[in-house]
Amino acid sequence: MDPATQIDHQFVVAAYIITWTLQLGYLAWLGLKWRAEKRSADRRLHSR
Amino acid sequence: MKKTLILLYAAVTVALMIWGFYQAIYVAPSDAMQGEISHIFYYHVPNAMLAFLFFAVSLLGSIGFLSFRRSHPERAQISDAWALAGAEVGVIFCTVVLTTGPLWGRRAWGIWWTWDARLTTTLVLWLIYVSYLLLRRFAAGPQVQTLAAVLGIFGALDVPIVYMSNRWWRTQHPAPVFGGGPDSGIKDPAMLAAFGWNVLAWAAWGIFVLLLRYFVERKHQLNAEAEAQEELEANA
Repeated sequence: MDPATQIDHQFVVAAYIITWTLQLGYLAWLGLKWRAEKRSADRRLHSR
Repeated sequence: MKKTLILLYAAVTVALMIWGFYQAIYVAPSDAMQGEISHIFYYHVPNAMLAFLFFAVSLLGSIGFLSFRRSHPERAQISDAWALAGAEVGVIFCTVVLTTGPLWGRRAWGIWWTWDARLTTTLVLWLIYVSYLLLRRFAAGPQVQTLAAVLGIFGALDVPIVYMSNRWWRTQHPAPVFGGGPDSGIKDPAMLAAFGWNVLAWAAWGIFVLLLRYFVERKHQLNAEAEAQEELEANA
């Protein structure tokens, strides 16, 4: 594999990794937010 | 039943993402001129298309909020939740576009960024919706939702400008792949199939994330409403 093709390959890998890091990171943050809201609702129910 | 449907949808989405990845990397041939770097296209373009779709959801939600805020408070809150969900998920997809694009540009053009019409209007779109999210996160007061709705509508006006920018002006950004004249379109069937699968996969993923964001916001609204009600009752 010549150096230019190798760099192209690295750039494609970087683009795909960045995409998945952003998307999965956001999904994880949403999951945490969902859990926090659910806990808040449960706490209020128990305190009644 | 509901849980089963959600799990089934999530499983189909994951399968589509894996199939889309396989098509983009292993099945679609590299472009004769660009080489392997052309494979970024299969993530960059579907993410851009979906960012536009989610900003349209935010626009409809913002219009709904402004229409219902006096007559139907419940509907206004639902519209506001859609507006926020659309803006936030749109920003995530637009961020992908603004990071994968320069990676492609560095290899294809030799530069990370250029201030041409397509790139600049996309950056402006992203900045408008980031400011929308900052407004919602840090501003306080009864008018925040109304101000955000106006900003959401203002931001959506940039979407057609971004879309048309490489038709109206001469740009460094490549010409439109679809709807850009007789020479536009993907000629290779394997490339077209890979593109189609990735649009489908990202649409399934995006809708899943959008729905999740909407339900999180609705839960937040209902919690805040219940807390306010409890405080009122305690004070009375």
